[in-house]
Order: sequence, then structure tokens, then C-alpha cells
Amino acid sequence: MSAERALSGDERRALAREISRLANASVTDMLAAPPVVAARSARRIGFTGPPGVGKSTLVGTLVERRAARGAGIAVLAIDPASPYSKGAILGDRIRMDRAADDPRVFMRSVSSRDAQDGMCNNVADMLTRLEAHGFDEIVLETVGVGQAEHAVKALVDTVVLLMQPETGDAIQALKAGILEVADIIVVAKSDLPGAARMQQQLVSTVQFGVQRSAAWTTPVLGVSVETSTGLEALEEALDAHAQWVLEHRDAGEVRHTRARYRVQDLIVRQLEHALAALTPAECDMPLAGLYSATLDRLRSTKSG
Amino acid sequence: MTTAAELAPEPGQPGARTPSGIEVPEVATPDAVDAAHVGAPGQYPFTRGIFENGYRGRLWTFRQYSGFGSAEETNERYKFLIAQGQTGLSVALDLPTQCGYDPTDSMASAEVGKVGVSLSNLADAEILFDGLDLTKLSTSFTINGTAAIVYALYLAVADRRGIPRAKLTGTIQNDILKEYVARGTWIFPVRPSMRLIADTILYSNEQTPRFNPISIAGAHVRDAGCTAVEEIAYTLANAFAYVDELVARGANPNDFAKRLSFFFYVHMDFFEEVCKFRAARRYWARMLKERYGVTDEKALMFRFGVVCGGSSLTAQQPLNNIVRVGIENMAAVLGGAQSIFTCAYDEAFQIPTEASAEIALRTQQIVAYESGIARTVDPLGGSYYVEWLTDRMEEEMEKVIREIDAYGGTVRAIEDGYLQSRIAHRALERKRDTDRGERVVVGENFFRHAEQTTDFGEVFRLDPNVSRKVIERFERLKESRDGTAVTRTLVKLRAAALDERENLLPYIVDCCHAYATVGEIVDTLKKEWGEFQEPVRL
Amino acid sequence: MSLAGKRILIAKPGLDGHDVGAKVIALALRDAGAEVIYTGLRKSPDYIARVAIDEDVDAVGLSILSGSHVDLVRETARCLREAKADNVKLFVGGTIPHEDNPALVDAGAAGIFNASQRIDDVIAEMARVLDVG
Repeated sequence: MSAERALSGDERRALAREISRLANASVTDMLAAPPVVAARSARRIGFTGPPGVGKSTLVGTLVERRAARGAGIAVLAIDPASPYSKGAILGDRIRMDRAADDPRVFMRSVSSRDAQDGMCNNVADMLTRLEAHGFDEIVLETVGVGQAEHAVKALVDTVVLLMQPETGDAIQALKAGILEVADIIVVAKSDLPGAARMQQQLVSTVQFGVQRSAAWTTPVLGVSVETSTGLEALEEALDAHAQWVLEHRDAGEVRHTRARYRVQDLIVRQLEHALAALTPAECDMPLAGLYSATLDRLRSTKSG
Repeated sequence: MTTAAELAPEPGQPGARTPSGIEVPEVATPDAVDAAHVGAPGQYPFTRGIFENGYRGRLWTFRQYSGFGSAEETNERYKFLIAQGQTGLSVALDLPTQCGYDPTDSMASAEVGKVGVSLSNLADAEILFDGLDLTKLSTSFTINGTAAIVYALYLAVADRRGIPRAKLTGTIQNDILKEYVARGTWIFPVRPSMRLIADTILYSNEQTPRFNPISIAGAHVRDAGCTAVEEIAYTLANAFAYVDELVARGANPNDFAKRLSFFFYVHMDFFEEVCKFRAARRYWARMLKERYGVTDEKALMFRFGVVCGGSSLTAQQPLNNIVRVGIENMAAVLGGAQSIFTCAYDEAFQIPTEASAEIALRTQQIVAYESGIARTVDPLGGSYYVEWLTDRMEEEMEKVIREIDAYGGTVRAIEDGYLQSRIAHRALERKRDTDRGERVVVGENFFRHAEQTTDFGEVFRLDPNVSRKVIERFERLKESRDGTAVTRTLVKLRAAALDERENLLPYIVDCCHAYATVGEIVDTLKKEWGEFQEPVRL
Repeated sequence: MSLAGKRILIAKPGLDGHDVGAKVIALALRDAGAEVIYTGLRKSPDYIARVAIDEDVDAVGLSILSGSHVDLVRETARCLREAKADNVKLFVGGTIPHEDNPALVDAGAAGIFNASQRIDDVIAEMARVLDVG
């Protein structure tokens, strides 16, 4: 997509309906669907971190800046579904109001519905569909709970992990092994007290603890949207990491990781149906029998 | 869709819990009263009121809210109301004025003169107050986002007429924090808004010492669905934020606290309403003394105005509202309000007619002059139940305020959308309680007629030409005024906005004298400050 | 009843800042299984139509308490038509005198609600119009 070109109303509508179709597609639908091929790949950036840390606000600000410089950007923001009603309040859009209103930006909110990993059903295909449209960059914002960090790692080129000072986020992240997933760590709301100390702790943890690649040192950046600080540094880090990906990451490996995630998404859903379909008699079987009954169900159960 | 169909034909016996969730005893006992703790009227901690002689010295102000259409029409309505015996004016402004848009702005188009009068410049203000004696009337403006500008316009009118500023009395609401939470006429981000409010308070205390430069309001969060306890707690939390801001500016709370005033709703649970005011008065005095070291007794006094009605009124069987307002009016008096506004019975669904507005005012007159409840100071003082409930409500208020403190203070809770979310959930709960019949609303969910429809009676319709007339006059003004004076004053204002040490009020008054418009002044400040970004979180 | 999978945009057009009704209905719709997007305050009809397209919603619910409901419904319906979103159902709630109902229906409202209605009735009626009742 040319940098100058805004999306037409028809393009927006078509894209929006495609995403809806994917959000609603069953395993069977997905298996029957024709493949979507993207002519070229877009830069994919994932934002993750605990709820309330300010992901949408930061994404909105970044997207606004980058779109103003001419980039065509798609944002896919996932919000959690209520465990009771399965309904959802999709609140990300309003927090990136100005960015979402840019004619070069396509922003879409989706509910995590039944997905267990902080993503949504068929998210890999949604990203490919957006890629096929020809956006320069695709931003994925996760729910920020559960296993989102690991899922997002499989789906994007650069993972930005946000943490808020004085919330215990850093300790939790360390315990959960989340820091290792991050390509860039952001101490959000860095104008709040405790931000500098948190940044220091994270820098030393990254340097001495979880450093996993000689070629890329995970930067720890303080960013405050409120006071407009740290945004340039974050953009520089994003660009530096994009360059590093280009030079060091094996495209084949990336493709295969994403293929694995994609099929895993389908099988996990299919497995839930299979487990639900097990009869009481099957559940009373010895483990080996139950296991093979489940595998049979996995093959035979029709997905919803 | 018949509302009552699934409910029992009649509600059960009164439950033990008040709407705020306080479980009350079947009968209160004498040990509930600790005379020393309650204190005497006019003395710290003011449980029994801020005046030694209650309403004997002076009745509360009867303040009816009005204003619509053009300045000319509103001015006529004011003259009518004063002739009817009203002692205070209350100015309702249209939404463009409240949100800082001129009548010609594309954002304003459908709303000019609709929910109040359009006041966009000094020429409008001169017409609005034409023929009214500003030294005798106390004028109250429901204005927040543009409060500093509206106040400046009022000063400019007085200046033009040669009235000494020190003689002006009245109130501007000027409480932006609750706008972010419940009423929505915010403009700038929280920080610069707090500065503008502090500027206004400091300037007013010096220039118009009889004027209330802020009326910290719980009314809107209450009407949105909060309980009486939350209404007071959220409001006092906001009040402490303003006090902190002023103290940080070097002001002495012994001085400025004398001119802080409050504004609440009165709803239907009679004793909760009476006791919430008694509890709030005591808690406020105690906090000012203990937290801020205030020693001047006058500065410890909690002064407040109220609205009787609001969302306690129903569109179904609207005449029932006259009774509701009467009961609420009595609760306000027994709670010790300084000024009272009674809603017209038809306000739940339309702009009041002249007839319904008159009944609202007559209600106050009946309470004041026939009922006799104003005869002796705090007649409920010492009641076992009233003192017991006052104590309990004070404890509950303090609990909520502690929760907000634990979150990181009210400003943070508002910026994050935490308070807004709490209120939305509470409102849904209240709605569901009504739907299920757990909360009784006579004529709405119980005691309905078989074939009940809302009779809208006499609907006040605005003259469709009003907005055209407002816009025409606005355009004439822009042609006739001295454009260079406008630009000169606006440029100075912008420079002052950059300098935190400057008080912006003198600059805004200059802009008003030069006939700069509300929209122009707001846009100038937006250039430096930006706009508030709503933290929608549910 | 359930609105599972339905996407609904709740919007506040105009300058009216009383948003608790909009938030209450947004929460109630979520509780009925819908996926709800709430715009926040002061949105133009044009903006509302654009969000409706991007988010591919089934319905738009306008909450209006300022008395400008007829104008705002008409204008939003026009913007939706221009954006070729005729399939999107338009609802309106707020302080609306009955006598304005014909004008609102004429302007394109598929459902008109007020605060004295039971919330479950409001949801049921929306579900009926959206054909999932």
C-alpha cells in the first residue's frame, strides 16, 4: 500500500467483514477456507502487559506518530470476554481514538471469546489477512493475561512488554518467565514514582539474568504518554529491532513457528469440543482407554 | 412489556437496610446519643448546623434553576421569577457554552440555546442581566469547564455598570473533577484544569470576597446512581484534592476554606438524607482541623446547597413527584441546607412549564412558612435514630474515602477511569434493583394503573428561531467589535497560560472586556494545554 | 435471551455529557453476551458511522439526553447510509417524549427506549430487532 493512500470506505468495510468472518469461523470453516497469501510481509509488533498498564494509550500514541509519517498501519486489539456471559466491552478503540481516526489506519477490536491464551480464535489468519491487504505495519495488542506473552511471541516480529512502576508487575513477570519473551521492555507511566528504580532493576535483570542472545540486548525504556517522554527512544528501539530481525532471524523458522501456532489454535479448540463430548462411561475408563477415546473424538467431533 | 406484570402487586415490608446498605436497628436506643460528640449548633464539629440560631436568623435561599434560549428570553424569565418572590438566580447555560464552543462552531450546531441560555460573550451577558440589581441578587451559575470565563463575564458586566466587585454575591460551580466522573463538560486535561480552578478561587477571594468561587458537587454522581454515602465520599475526596492544590499554591486554608461550598442531591430515603448532611458537616470540619490544621471556626463550616428531585422523580404518574419534592425539601431543611432548589414535577421528561415551575417554588414556601420545621434549630438533634445513623454514615463515608486514597487519590482514580467505572456498575445495580422490585418506586414499578401511559401534558417547545437569532447576534458582534483588542488580549492570555506562576483570571477578564468569545478563549488555552482524553473503562 | 456474538456500538453524539445511561446499557448488553464498543462523549454522527464500519457492528445505539434526538438520529442514519452500512440497525435511548417517536422512526430508528423501561425489556427488544430473540 502506498504511503499516501488512505483506505476507501469500501476497503474498510470489506476488511472489517473479513475479520468478522474469521472471528466467527469454526475449525471446519477454517479447514475448508481457501488460503490467503500475502504478497509481502508486514512488520508485526505485539504489545503485551498486565491490564491497566496503558497498552492502548501507548499503541494509540505510537500509531498516531507513525501514521503521520506516512505508514499504513493496522491495529488488532484484543479485549477479554466476560467469563459469565461471554460478552465483552471492547474499550481499546476509544483509548486510541485519534490514531483510529487517521484514514491510513485500520483499527479493529476483537473479543477473546473462548480463547485461553489471551488471543482470539483464528488470530493468525486475521494477521495474514491484514498483511495481504498491504499494510506496512501491523500492531497486535493482547489481553495481557494468561499465556498471551508466549502466543504473541509466535505471531509477531517484535514483542513489547509493558510494566507499571510500584505494582509488583516486574516480580510477577520475572516469576512467570515473561521477561525472556520481550524484545523491548517498557516501564510505562514513567512519570510515576518508583519508575526509575524499576527501570534499574529490570536493566540489571536483563543484563545478568535472562540475556538470551548475543546479538540483541533487550532495552528497558521508561515511557510516559502523559508527559510525552521516551517515545522517540521507543521508536528507535523498534526500528533497531526490526533491523536485527531482518539480519538475524531465519524467515523459514518464523514461518514454521507461525504454522505451528495456527494449527495448535485449531486443535486446542477441537480438543475442547472432544472433551465435552466424552460420555460418562468413557470418562470412567482407565487412562489409556480414555486417552485413545479422546483422540477418536478429536477426529470425529464436529466443531462448533 | 408491562413493567409490573412480574412483580408482586404490593411491595413487602420495609427492609432493614438503607439504600446505602446500612443495616438499621428495629428501634434505636438512648445509648446512641453522646451529647458531647454531637455538640451544639454553630460550634465545632457542627453536627447540628453551622449557625447557632439555625434558620431563625435567615431562611435558606430559594434558588430555582432556569435559563433557556437567548439572553433576552432568559432575562424576561428572571424578571418573572423575581416578581414571584425568588431570592436567588440560577443560570442554566447551553451545552456549547459549557463545553467552550461558540454558537457557530460545527460542534455546537444542534444545541444552541437548548438546555440553557447561550452565553458566548460580554454582549450576551449584558443583555442577560439587564435591569437586574446585581448587588441584591445572589446569582448561581452551573458552569464548570468554562467557569473561569463565565465568572469573568459576570465581573465585566459589573465593571461596565460601575458596580463594585466586592458587592457581588453568588456561586460558580467550577468543580471540574466531577465533570470527568459524571457530567461530562470537561475541556482540558486534569492538571491545567486544577490550575485554572485554583486561579479562579484565589482571584475571587481577593476581588469578590462575598462570591463562592467553587461549589463542589456530589449531585451528579448521585444522580448517576451512587448511594448517599458515596455521593458525600466522592465529593469530599474531590474537595480534598482542591484543598491540596490551593495549599500547594501557598494559600492558607484558614482563608480560602471559608469560601468553599458544596452541592448535593436529596433523594427519597428521608433519614439517610438528613443524616448524610449532618455526617458530612462533621467529617469535613474534623478533616480540615486534623489534616490541614485549620483553626478558624468559620473556615471549618460546611456550607451547601441542594437539589430536591433529579433522578428520584419519575416520568410515570408525574404528579406524584410533587409529593416527593415536598418530602425531599423537608429533608434538606432538617439537614441544614443553605440553599435549596426544588425540581418541577415534570422535569423527568421535559423543560418545566411556567405552571410546574411555580408549584416547585410554592413547595419551598409551604415548607418554609407553613410547616414550622424551620422554627427551632436542628429539631431532629438528639433523636436516638438520627444520631445513630449520622455516626454510621460518617464511618461509611470515611471508609470509601480511604479506598480512594488507597487507589492513589481522586485525581489518579479519575484519570484511570476507576471512579467512573465504579459509578457505572452502581448505576446498573440500582436499575436492576428497581426492575426486580427490590427498590420501590411508586407508580413506576408498583401501584401502576392498568393502562398507564406517560401523560406529557404541556410540553415547553423552544422557539426554533432562537438558535438562528443567537447566531445572527453573534455574527454581528464579531463584525462590530475591535478585532485588534481581541487579538491583543488573547495573545497575552496564551503567554500567561505558559507561565505556571501567573494567575490567568486578570487576562481572561481583559479578554471578556474586549468582547473575545468563550470559544476563542477556550481555543487559546487548548493550544497550550490540549484536551482531556477520556479513559473509558467499564 | 442472548445477544451472543452480536457487535453493538454505543455512542454519545452531541455535547450532552450524561453518560451513565450509555454505560449502564453497555454493561447490560455485555451481560447479555454482546460485544460492545462504547465511543465516549461528544462524537459526531460521521465519526460514529466510521467506527460502525471499521468494527463491523450489527447495531448502533445512541444515548441522547439533550433533547436533540431527532436531529442526531437523522444525521447518524444519513451517515450510515452514505457509508453503505444500511444493514446496521439504529437504536436511540434517552429522555424522549412519546410524541417524537414517529419522527424518530421516520429518521431511521429501529428501536426507541427510555430510562423507565426495564433493562431486560430493552435487551429483549434489541434482540428481537436483531433477530436473535
